[in-house]
Amino acid sequence: MKAMLLLALLPFGSAAAHEMTPTYPVFTDSFMAGVSVTTMNLFNKRTDVSYYEIGVFDDEWEPIPFVSQYTIIPMEYLDTLAFDVYVSNLSLNSVEYICSVSQVQAGATVSSKICSRIK
Amino acid sequence: MKKLLIASLILVTHVPAYATDTPISGLVQTRCLITTDTNGVFGNPLPSKLSTASADGGVVPVVRYDVTLADAYLAKVTTPTAFSTSPSLSDSVKWTGSTAVSKTSDAAMSGYEAAKVTYGSTTQFDLTKAGSTWFSSTATAVYGVSKSFPGGSYTAIVLAECIAK
Repeated sequence: MKAMLLLALLPFGSAAAHEMTPTYPVFTDSFMAGVSVTTMNLFNKRTDVSYYEIGVFDDEWEPIPFVSQYTIIPMEYLDTLAFDVYVSNLSLNSVEYICSVSQVQAGATVSSKICSRIK
Repeated sequence: MKKLLIASLILVTHVPAYATDTPISGLVQTRCLITTDTNGVFGNPLPSKLSTASADGGVVPVVRYDVTLADAYLAKVTTPTAFSTSPSLSDSVKWTGSTAVSKTSDAAMSGYEAAKVTYGSTTQFDLTKAGSTWFSSTATAVYGVSKSFPGGSYTAIVLAECIAK
């Protein structure tokens, strides 16, 4: 019942939210040999944010090289976007987090960062 | 007339009812949603001080975390240690800040505040329950040794992070 209430309330919340799913992405083989891919979804409900930066990190928060359609993602208010993250199989075992960070405009006072984890 | 009535009844009773099941499908994913509930505003109670505390004429920024799975996320809130926009400053600024749980959607989350971990300007909360939690952060900036902040617009950023465990 609580989960239902929460889901009912979410779409009517404040006009300034950031969400990234899945929480626990899984890499699969891509169309290129030696490269794995996972698909992430981003939702921008922040009127004060038009760009998000994507990053891939190991368990010490050191950046790991990756390829995606975007590194800085332009997003309009209420946009949802699916994007692929490609990582070499050589560094796949080191991947721990995939993060998106809001790029705040002048005047904004809160920056949001959501990190999914590879289990 | 009688035959007509009988024929009508047979027709009526044999009209098929085209009822069918219409499925509604959906997928609920584990997710964390960060919402800026209230943007902060600096008050200027003294010429050398900017503060978000309501006692100082400021507005405390409030960030809401909505999580749909218990024990899946850490919330980290970092108060500012620098201005993102300000007039040119010639002296150092001393920052202090803190973050606290201001509201929860579930009474079982009452232990979040006592269990929080603070390091540097970051406060970490373990979101062990599903639901919504509101965090409020106070930030205070003091300029030099009782120096007056130059006139102009000042902005500082609170960083709200939601890290999957």
